[in-house]
Parts: sequence; C-alpha cells; structure tokens
Amino acid sequence: MTSLGQVVQSVRKYRNFVRSEVKRVRNEPKAAEKILNRWREIRSEVGTTETPTGIKLPTLALPEIDEPGEITRFLLEEGLPGEFPYLSAAYPKQYLASGGSNGSSANSNEKQGEEPTRLFAGLGLPEDTNARLHYLSRNQQSKRLSTAFDGPTLYGVGAGARGVFGKIGEGGVAVDTIDDVERLYDGFALDQPRVSVSMTISGPAPILLAMYIAAAKRRFGPGVLPKLRGTIQADVLKEVQAQNELIFPIEPSMRFLADMVDFCVRAMPRWYPISISGYHIAEAGATPVQQAAYTLSNGFAYVDYFQQRGMSVDVFGPRLSFFLDCGLDVEYVALARVCRKIWALGMRDVFGANERAQKLKLHTQTSGRSLVAADWKNNLTRTAIELVLACMNATNSCHSNAADEPFTTPSEEYARYAAHAQAILLEESGLFRHMMNTLAGSPGMRVVANAVEEGILDEFEVIEEQGGVLGAVERRYQRSQIQAAAHLLESQISSGERSIIGLNRYTDDENRWPNLEMIRTDREKKQLHLDRLHEFHRQHADQSERSLDSLTKVVESDGNVFAELINTVEHCSLGQITNRLTEVVGKFRPMV
Amino acid sequence: MEPIRILTAVPICDGHDSAINTINLELIRHGIEVVYLGYHRSAEDIVRAAVQEDVRAIGISSYNGGHVEFFGEILAELRARNGQHIRLFGGGGATITKADAEQMYESGVDQIFFAGTSLGEMVDYVQRQFGAPIAHGEFEDPRSDRALAAMLTRIENGANPNSAGNRSDARKTKLFGFTGPGGAGKTTLIDELVLRFVRHLPDQRIAILSHDPSVMGLGALLGDRATMIYSQNDRVFIRSMATRGQTGGVSLVTQQSLRFLADTEIFDAILVETVGTGQEALPFEFSEVRLDASFLVMPPDYGGRLQLQKIAMLDAADVIVVNKSDLRGARTAVAEIQARIGPNRRAQRLLRTQANRHGDPGVDQLFQVLFPGQPKSAFEYTPVAHHSF
Repeated sequence: MTSLGQVVQSVRKYRNFVRSEVKRVRNEPKAAEKILNRWREIRSEVGTTETPTGIKLPTLALPEIDEPGEITRFLLEEGLPGEFPYLSAAYPKQYLASGGSNGSSANSNEKQGEEPTRLFAGLGLPEDTNARLHYLSRNQQSKRLSTAFDGPTLYGVGAGARGVFGKIGEGGVAVDTIDDVERLYDGFALDQPRVSVSMTISGPAPILLAMYIAAAKRRFGPGVLPKLRGTIQADVLKEVQAQNELIFPIEPSMRFLADMVDFCVRAMPRWYPISISGYHIAEAGATPVQQAAYTLSNGFAYVDYFQQRGMSVDVFGPRLSFFLDCGLDVEYVALARVCRKIWALGMRDVFGANERAQKLKLHTQTSGRSLVAADWKNNLTRTAIELVLACMNATNSCHSNAADEPFTTPSEEYARYAAHAQAILLEESGLFRHMMNTLAGSPGMRVVANAVEEGILDEFEVIEEQGGVLGAVERRYQRSQIQAAAHLLESQISSGERSIIGLNRYTDDENRWPNLEMIRTDREKKQLHLDRLHEFHRQHADQSERSLDSLTKVVESDGNVFAELINTVEHCSLGQITNRLTEVVGKFRPMV
Repeated sequence: MEPIRILTAVPICDGHDSAINTINLELIRHGIEVVYLGYHRSAEDIVRAAVQEDVRAIGISSYNGGHVEFFGEILAELRARNGQHIRLFGGGGATITKADAEQMYESGVDQIFFAGTSLGEMVDYVQRQFGAPIAHGEFEDPRSDRALAAMLTRIENGANPNSAGNRSDARKTKLFGFTGPGGAGKTTLIDELVLRFVRHLPDQRIAILSHDPSVMGLGALLGDRATMIYSQNDRVFIRSMATRGQTGGVSLVTQQSLRFLADTEIFDAILVETVGTGQEALPFEFSEVRLDASFLVMPPDYGGRLQLQKIAMLDAADVIVVNKSDLRGARTAVAEIQARIGPNRRAQRLLRTQANRHGDPGVDQLFQVLFPGQPKSAFEYTPVAHHSF
C-alpha cells in the first residue's frame, strides 16, 4: 500500500473514532461531565466585539448545543478555528478586524492583521509589471506581490528563440535574466516582513527563484536570505496532469524541486518553496472533487518524496502551501474545509508530522474558467459570489479575477474592481470582520462536506490501485479524467443543461460581446527586451560557458543543483540554462 | 470518399489544450482524420508535419497571445516549405479581437473562430471548406517531402504506383518493424532511437510510418507525433496512418507505402510502428517487401507465463524488447520470455530498455542493433558549440 492508501485508512479510522467518542460521552457520565466543562470553558474564552450598529457579538460563533455527544462531534469533526482537524480554519482569527477583546495583537503573528488580498499581475516588460505591482499595492499595508510570467518564461525558452518574439510580455511578464528580476521588484523592500512575493511558475521555478535570491543579495546584501518572504509555485505534478508547462522529465524535475525545497527550508525559513496547486487542474476542466483529490494526493506524493530524500517532515511540512480554485459549483461551499481536514489527518497519522505541518495553508483564486466574454460584466457578479465562498472556506490569501480576463490581461480599471471586491467583502460588509464562523456549520455545508470527503476518498482509492500518484500519472489517469470532465462540462453548456448567463441564457443583448482595448505589448518593447537579453549574453560571454559547465558537473554529481543555480544565474540567462539542462537530463515528453 | 485530413496544434510557449482536445473529439466524431501535434509547438514543427502528413488545413488554438505573429510565422513557413496549398484557420476564445482577425485575414489566414462559436459550426466549416482533395499537380522535385506526402495519400486512397526504384536486397534503406501491445511504450522507444539517429548519423534521413486505429467511415486521432519530441527535425519524415477498419496492426496500404518510400532510397532507415496489437497479431507478414528486422516491444505486465505461449510475435520477431524495465516484474519478464523463445532455436535477441529515462543504456544497445558501429553510449555529455536562445 502506498501512503495514499494509508491516508484513506486514517480518514476512515478517524470517522470511527469520532463515532465511538460520541457514543462514549453519551454513555459515560464522567466523560460527559468532562466535555461539558470543556465546552463551558471554550465559550467563556470567546472574546466579544461590538458592531458599528451597536450590537454585541462573540468573536467566534459556536453552535447552540448542550448535549455532550453533539459537542464532541462538533469539536472532533470540525474543530475550533486553528484547532485540529482545522476544518473551520487553520488559524483562530483570520479575517477579524481586530484581535477581539482578549485576542492577541495583530502584530504577534505574520498571518494575522494582514489583508488576504494578493493580486496576480504580469504584463509586458519587468518595469511595466513593476509599475502595476506598485499600483495594486499602493493602499495595502502589507505588500503581497504576485507575479504572472509570459509563455516563453514559463517554458524556460529564451526570448530570442525562434518563433517566440510575438509572445514576449503577453499574458505575463517577460523575464530572462537576473537583471530582469531586479527591475521587476524594484522599489519594494524585499527584506521587510510586510513584503511577500509570489511567483507563479513551475517548470523553470528553481532557475527563477535562484535569480530572485541572487537579485535580492545584490540589493540587500548576502544576509537577506532568511528575511525573504514569499512563495513559488514549483508544482511539477500538476503540470503533468493539467497545465502542460514542464521542461524536464518528471524524475529530474522532482530532483531539482527537492534540491530547492531542501535549500529553502535550511536557508530561507520564511519562504514557501512549493505551492501545491489545484487551480490549473480545475481550470483544465476537473470537477471540484477531482481538483481536491488530485491536489491533495499530489501533496502527499511530495511529502513522500521529500521524506525519502531524508528531509524531516516537521521541517519542510510547515513550508508547504496550497493553491485552490473556487468556482460556482455547490461543492465549493465546503471544498477547502474538507481539504484542510484530510491534509491534517494524513500528515498527523501517516507521516507523523507536527502541528505546524498539519495545517494546510491556502491561497485561493476565483475561477477564471467560470468567466465568459459574452455579456462580460456579469463576471463581476460571478467573482463576487466566488469570493464569498472562498472566505467561507477561510482561505489564507486570495486572488479575485478581473472581469475582463476572458479576453485580455486585466486592465487597471478591472484589476482595481477585483481588489476592491475583496475589500468590500472583508472591510465594508460585516460578514467576516466581526466573527469567525459567521457562515459556517449550516446543515447544507455539512452535507456537502460529507459528500465531498467521500468523493475524494473514492478518487484516492482509484489512484492507489494504480500504484499511487506517480503510477497513475504514468498511465495518464488524472489527465484523462480531467479531459473527460472538461468534455462533459462543454457538452452541458452547449446543451443548455448548465446555464451560463449571457452565453446560453438571456442572450437578448445585441452588444454582449466585448469591444475593448486590449492590453498588449508593442513591438518596440519586445525588441527592447530582446536587445537587453543580447546585451546580457554579450557581457557574460566569457563566463557563461564556464558557469554552465560547473552546473553540469553538479547535476551529474548528484549535488544540490539549486545552490549552484544561484551562481549560474549571475552569468547565464534562463534560455541558456534550460538548454544546457535539457542536454544533460532530457526533455519532458508531453502527454496528450 | 477519402476522409478529410487536418492537423491541429497549440502554439509555442502555450499549454492551453483543453479547447483543442474538445474540438479534436468533435471533428473525429464527424469522420475527420486529425493529426494532433500537441501543445508548445513551433511554426516550423507544425508546417513540417502538415506537409509530411499532406493535410488539407492547419487548425491552431492559441490562448496566451502573440497570435498575429504566430499565424504569420506559420504562413511564412508554409511558403518556405512549398506548402501554400495548405489552408490555415484557428481561434483563441476571446483573446483574438476582430481587429486582430482582420489583420490575420489580410496576411492569408482563412478563418478565425471567436468566443461563442459552437463545435457544430467548426465541424461544418471544416467539412465545407476542406471537403475537396488537394490538387497537387506536377512536382518539380519528386523527392521533396511534399511530393512523397502526396504520393502516400494517393496510395492510401487506392493508387498502386509502379515502382521505378531499386528492388534488390542491396538497397541502402533498412526497414524495421515495431509492434507490441498498447501501452508498451513503442512510440517513446522509437523517439529515443530517433534522438540517437539524429545525433550520430548527421547526414542521414529516417522515416516513420506510425499507425493509429480507426473505424471505417469514422475519423481518427493521430496523436503519436505529439509525444515524439526528438523527431521534430527536418531529417525525420513521419507519416501517421489510420487503420481505417483494418485489423492486425497496420493499414491495408502499409506495405505499398513502405515499398514506395523504400524505393525512393531517400531514407537510410524506415520504421513502421503498428497500433497496439493483440496476441495473435503478425503484422509484418508482407508479400512484397521484406523487413530487415522486426521488433516486439513488451511491457513487464503481460499477465503471466501462460499468456506468453499465445503471443505469435514471440516466434516471429527478430528482437524482443522488454520496455519499462524499471517496473516491478521486469526481471521475471525477461526470464520468462527467455524461456519462452529458447525452443525457437533461431537467433532472436532479448533486450531490456527503459525508454522514459534519458540516456538509457538499454536504448543505446537497441540503437546498436539497428545501426551497428555507433558509439556505445550516446549520452556522455559533450558541449554543443551553438545554442539557440
């Protein structure tokens, strides 16, 4: 049995444990008294707050139950926010406007008192994205920067390669060199705890992070490493299953990843070196349950792999983070909540991880796939609903899509509305700011959670049958399941079984197709980027080959490739490095 | 009536294949043969494939921008590779504006589908616009990829060309057949052999006849090219063939196609890859051409010793390759197959490979069998003088 099979067992075992505990407290007066005392204690410790309209509320909503069995069920199945199994939330006070009357101060924990808003941006040249990042974060106390890269960068293809000129700076920022990374984050105090950087890239992730580190060292000195805060996606497995942006074969890709994770957990304690992502799985058409099942199982596969490499789960476990999609299907009422619970159980019972490693830290993005170009301003409403769902699932950070995304890199205007939507939900509305669990625990939410949990376990069992995640990947199981779900979704839309307002329902508006200015990168800018790259190659012509040879030696000697990459990027561009590495370890063979 | 053949792909540095996967399925359902080249494909690779496959049109699904330039580049490649007869259409949801489309039409793109176009409309378009066979006319260079491709289409549709070539056994073109059950890794193995061929035999050309199953009167998804990363090279000629209802591993016209290509003496080697075959299959019982060697590729999990008795190719093949040798049971498989072929009392070779591993020594060894006298290991890293970046 692989570890995934053991996770299934541990979840089933936990269910039985809850059932027997409920029975026990109902039958044993002593146990009942103990749980009632604890419940009284919990209730008395909840802080209070007053709304602007003058009503007094507790900072944590608890169910009105007084029967020992029900109390036990609640505490074991859902847990209080920040308590095992973390179904309610990973942390006790996530969105609260203040820590509450007896809460800790907002500054005591980097997770608290920080806006969850993290908006994804990337367009044109590094200086264009830099300006957008400054614009987006201008009113934020905490600068949470999130970077989208263009196609050539995501594939590790140099901007000068044949046929990619048109793609420079389209759909994301063009980055080829360490100098580009310096321009990209210019003006941000990367050494300050209030600044964190997220880089959405997987195939060449180790190269990009090496550039980031090397660039940060240039600006802030060699002591900056432990201060750097942020995350890089680096999710190899979901690339194979859904997003198709992998460069090297799976085996060397996993090794490069493990080298990077190993380096980060030692030298960069505030960095999350992998973001285990369901987003792209869902965007490729997976159902919500498939998204959750494949993402979680990928996560467990990484834990397995890192442990086999000799890393301690208590050390790397807390540095893993997750990234999920939130769409409009009913499963999203509880999807991420269930994920937190299964992760906690698997980490605790199968991998023996400590409490910090049991907590699933979550970034959510509203669904891009749910947005349509037809009558596109409806997308504002779709995103708003998805945001509510994301916050009901107590996500730790969130990106809300701009309404114009189906057809362009977001304009400044719609990026602003997207950011403001989060502010309206969390600051203006009273839904989440006064109380934890305002919308939690409804009968519907519980029913959905149970159905989702069962669906995830079913998927786990099918993957287990194939020898675990890597076996299933080899058989292209996840890919074909995702593709089948995508076809079903498309056929439901074209048959009208699924309503998409403005697309297949209420399509009476003649002007429902967008007629807007697109955000594009003009030829002169693309040329400028290319000129810079050529200049970089010229300047480093003497050293680049030697650097690549040292890198090759490390790859062939089983040394830590990531540590060497931090040197390589001083003299070599992204394209040079990926070319050399594919010579040495081969290319990823795409699956169709 | 001969089926419509088109090629679909997603541009370089773009991995958005969800839409094209759905569109491919719909086209196939309506009788169209789709050569699918996959995602992250350069204009050069797309056009080379389109010419070799003799498709009537190229369909491009582009989602992350730069489409005006990319479609332009395909048109330029079509001109450069004598492929102007191939039409070009595509789409990109709402990422391609009306103004972009106008510009693309002016440069020679036939059609852009905008967001909201139904699958039915796309199928109608392909059937209406590309219903007629290509009129190739006379070829200036009968040895060009386009001329070869056109002749293969004629053969596929019933022509039986008189061969003017050298039919003696002394001809320079070696013919190799690869067969085995589905999932054995034949395509990956062939691509790894091609990688070694391209690296070590610098002036030679290789051709591959690659088969995918299809039902008579229905379309086919011809997808092998998409996973052949090292075969995207001008020295490699690949033709994807649908079996069109023929059972046994190859198509009704495989033999003629092979003979035709062999007689041109353009290629130093031609590899035939069958569809995934069953136990009774003997796909290379050709009457008009003789293979230089046949290869049976087996995965380690064939279901036990008893099953081996029934596999006919274990008697007929010259070389048996146990691929995926990293999987559990590979050593048992080698031992059982050795025992099974022992009584045959003929010179059969048995090799172990792991084609999905870069630089696999087993594949090196297999390469030696096909092309004797080449360096033992293909993968000692030697710096390349020139990188394209």
